[in-house]
Amino acid sequence: MNTSDRHLRFGWWSLFAFLTLGVVLEALHGFKLGWYLNVDVEIRRLMFTLAHAHGTLLALVNIAAGLTMRTVKGFELAKAPSFSLLWGSVLLPLGFFLGGLVIHDGDPGLGVLLVPIGALLLLYGVGSAARTLGKIR
Amino acid sequence: MSSSQPNDQPTGDPSKTSLWVKRFGYLALAWGVTMTAVSLLTGSWKSTPPTNRPIKQLTPEYASSDSCQSCHPGNYASWHASFHRTMTQVASVDNVASDMDGLNLSFHGTDYRVERKGAAYFVRNKPTGTPEAAFGQPVQIVLLTGSHNLQIYWTETDEGRTLGQLPFAYVVAEKKWAPMEHTFLVPPGPGQVYQQGDWNIACYNCHVTQGRQRFVTAKKYDSQVSEFGISCEACHSGGREHIEQNRNPLRRFALHWSDGADKTIANPARMDGPTSSLVCGQCHSIWAFKSPAVEIPWSRGGAQYRPGGKELDSRWIVQPTTTDHPEERDALLKTDPHFMTERFWGDGMVRVTGRELNGVMASPCYQGKQFSCLSCHEMHPAKTDAASLATWARTGQLKPELTSNQSCLKCHPGLQTAAGLTAHTHHAAESSGSSCYNCHMPHTTYGLLRAIRSHQISNPNVRESTELGRPNACNLCHLDQTLAWTAGKLGDWYGQKSPALAPDDRELSAGVQWLLKGDAEQRLLVAWSMGWAPAQKTSGSDWFYPFLAFELNDPYAAVRFATWKSLQSLPGFSGYEFDYTVNDAKQKEAVAQAYQKWWFEQRNKQGGYRPETMLEPEGSFRQELLDRMIQQRNHRKVYLAE
Repeated sequence: MNTSDRHLRFGWWSLFAFLTLGVVLEALHGFKLGWYLNVDVEIRRLMFTLAHAHGTLLALVNIAAGLTMRTVKGFELAKAPSFSLLWGSVLLPLGFFLGGLVIHDGDPGLGVLLVPIGALLLLYGVGSAARTLGKIR
Repeated sequence: MSSSQPNDQPTGDPSKTSLWVKRFGYLALAWGVTMTAVSLLTGSWKSTPPTNRPIKQLTPEYASSDSCQSCHPGNYASWHASFHRTMTQVASVDNVASDMDGLNLSFHGTDYRVERKGAAYFVRNKPTGTPEAAFGQPVQIVLLTGSHNLQIYWTETDEGRTLGQLPFAYVVAEKKWAPMEHTFLVPPGPGQVYQQGDWNIACYNCHVTQGRQRFVTAKKYDSQVSEFGISCEACHSGGREHIEQNRNPLRRFALHWSDGADKTIANPARMDGPTSSLVCGQCHSIWAFKSPAVEIPWSRGGAQYRPGGKELDSRWIVQPTTTDHPEERDALLKTDPHFMTERFWGDGMVRVTGRELNGVMASPCYQGKQFSCLSCHEMHPAKTDAASLATWARTGQLKPELTSNQSCLKCHPGLQTAAGLTAHTHHAAESSGSSCYNCHMPHTTYGLLRAIRSHQISNPNVRESTELGRPNACNLCHLDQTLAWTAGKLGDWYGQKSPALAPDDRELSAGVQWLLKGDAEQRLLVAWSMGWAPAQKTSGSDWFYPFLAFELNDPYAAVRFATWKSLQSLPGFSGYEFDYTVNDAKQKEAVAQAYQKWWFEQRNKQGGYRPETMLEPEGSFRQELLDRMIQQRNHRKVYLAE
């Protein structure tokens, strides 16, 4: 599987997963589940919302990366930036999600520590892509 | 950069277009930066605080409840739903009575008119009977006290932040305006409950968070508060350091993983019973300043006591039966000889509401150091949905399980079984007579126009009634029974010795005697109890009507109010109209009307009314007895300092 295929495939599956999460969150609203909606757990709601939003957006970023590789001549992400982008797209939303599973009053759980790791990988991947694209004449 | 699918060729001169786009971009950037700078500058300009009322001004130690919300959303939500938050509010369209605009009231020869101008409300007055033009200058209504029982309105004066008062209060449940003196248990007749400056002298002590009186000159104050209402920091102490230190996430997570105790903030739930209770008792107690000298720093900087402290610092809690603070006690009684009688029954049991710590401290349970206000009440319930919070706030912030005997059973496990409970109470296990509260916390305290449970855990006895005049728990439920009957039961069940009883106490219902010949507080407690469901069920309520009708003409407004509400609770009188603030002649009309309504519509035509209830078998009063009781009525002036 080449790099663009990998990003496209990941992107579409990731989009599916995080859109499903969105539906689940809507269901939690629909059934008025206190575990998700109560004021005292508002940090959980925030974390899950962030997981849904970031996961969906990063899925689209991966699809865009795959399509860019197919349409821009000479543009190919190296292995390291490609895997950084992929792992960043997993770890960042997953961190938000895990951070919301266990909460401490106004603080998220320790799972949220995945967020900065994911963010760094993501920045490296996106930055590398931008730099590579900039070099193409 | 090349693309696998070439784009269409752009039209026009590309270099000129890009130049204009660049220029536009720079211009937009400059505009954005300028606007941001302007916003920052205008944002830093502070609006001038109002000069006609006390203002919110944080001291370095305090941060206000706004700062607590983001980390403690659930606790913030429960506080926000509580009536502590709305204890004092700046008057606004959102919190005043709905009929304020265009309100016309009259009392003691003065007409008052309230009008809205913009978002503010103003009151003008004139002597009754004079033309419209006689209305004086408008005075702004600036602050409110209370939100769910009574709402009291404070006005601006010519003396800066010193407040005056609208002489009417809003009775929230009745949606009714009543003269201030008709909302307290005070002797009838013209009189002013509050005077100019009283808010700045007294109310601010407890109805705001960390208030500072800031005395300027005689009857002039420059009062400030850390927060209007009773907010987070009233119970948890100033939160500035707590906030600063907990910006560090490592510190927060260390606290989450440990037992959570944080030395930068007070938490009453982690304190021993007396220390925790004192947090509530800083306001919910009868206290006095230790000396006039300590009032000076108090006036300037507010209370020195902080939650977690073992004493109230510049104040002391006045308990009539203890021997602490002898010098302060002597000084207090010299300056105010009626201090005790206006607040306590003869044996030292507190008789006014809002001062619960005095009762709690005098309870045997308190001696174990575990029992506290939080044994029964909770400030932050687990359920934070709006409906649950509203119920919690309306029911005295009780813990959900405490509508039963659960609180007491923690320390009295022998009463957990029905057999054990019945053996102790001699009442059916499911009956109101087996409810711990009904016998050990009877409704012998007065406040907010009604009887309220005593917070001193005590055992019912007849002596408290014969010697102190305090209705005992048994006869507040068994209103139809005599004191001799109660003495007999308490003797048989608990070995209590009967005190000497008067002939009437052997033949006539204790409740009726208190209602007819008691003092104003006794009359009110019994009138209120006649509307209390357990008493109605136990005593049979069909004989209450004529007595409640009679008491609609009581000289004390508060008694008339309690009487009217009890009458409304009886069959046939639901929604019965009566204005308890009207004059004597109209009250007498109401008595006749209510009595006739009972006689013709509700009276048991078969008769059978019992003689101890002071009624003839067919229901008319035993006139000779009634006349004698009225003649013997205790007319002492009752003034209860709520």
